[in-house]
Amino acid sequence: MSTRDGTILGYLLVLAAGIALQVASVLRPDSFPSLGRVLTHVMRSRTGRVGIFVAWAWVGLHFFAK
Amino acid sequence: MADAAQGTGDEQLAQHAATEVLSPAHAVLAGLRQPIVLILLLIAFFTTISGKPLDGFLMLTVATLLVWDAARTRLSGPSPDVAGYGSPGQQSDAAGIGSPGPATAATSQAGQRERRRITGRMVAAGGAWLASGLLYAGIVGGFRRYSWPATIGVVSLGCLMVAVGWQGPLRRRAALTGQALRRAWLWAVVLVAGGMWELSSLLQQPHLTTDSYAHPTISALTDPLLASHPGRSLTLGAWLLIGWFLVGR
Repeated sequence: MSTRDGTILGYLLVLAAGIALQVASVLRPDSFPSLGRVLTHVMRSRTGRVGIFVAWAWVGLHFFAK
Repeated sequence: MADAAQGTGDEQLAQHAATEVLSPAHAVLAGLRQPIVLILLLIAFFTTISGKPLDGFLMLTVATLLVWDAARTRLSGPSPDVAGYGSPGQQSDAAGIGSPGPATAATSQAGQRERRRITGRMVAAGGAWLASGLLYAGIVGGFRRYSWPATIGVVSLGCLMVAVGWQGPLRRRAALTGQALRRAWLWAVVLVAGGMWELSSLLQQPHLTTDSYAHPTISALTDPLLASHPGRSLTLGAWLLIGWFLVGR
């Protein structure tokens, strides 16, 4: 396995962990929170809400803007 | 009894906040100590040194606004972070639409007509939003990446959404409680792990602005997809969907 493959595998493992957590939240909603519920919780405060929206905007800026 | 104790604690905190005299400098420092502000300042610094000064400027602007807002609310009264945004109850999930009251045939039919009318308006509004989103993704996706038209399109929408987010949630949502709340840190681990992996790849590049084949960042991996108009439009569509999801939180 090349270094490049290892790097990509790292991203895929993080993605798989996120998917596994989301699936766990569907199967056992009382034990594991979904990403949506966590975001809702974080976004109950102004700083949290603005922070999440800025993160979203930053993704667009990062990939498309100067 | 626990509620009564918490109530007493809240009253003491409120009295403390009311009697505490803050100087403007202390209020600004308190605003600067917010984790989100620190994160935004770090992003502003790193994006600027990696050749994206506009990103850095916008992050710095939002961080400054958050500090200003926190300082202003601390000087004038309770913080919105403590008191919440107030009640978005008009659009509560639990709120019924056109509650019929006593079950008479006339009021029931009127209620049904009202519900149909509201549903029709919601479908029409949803269709208009969908068409606008498709149009946006099609047009902005047609511009070359990092060009001024693409920049203006993305920055405008980003600023608009941050302004919308500033106003508070559109509807009330159930709070995260119990074991689910205690396990929210698992998501933090996943997100931080992803961020650290990306940062590690970024720092192993020959230069911050030069991609590495051996240690590709997510940006480098998505370059082939974003090289074409359909790929850019698809990505912008996904970005818009996530934004739509966030607005509803």
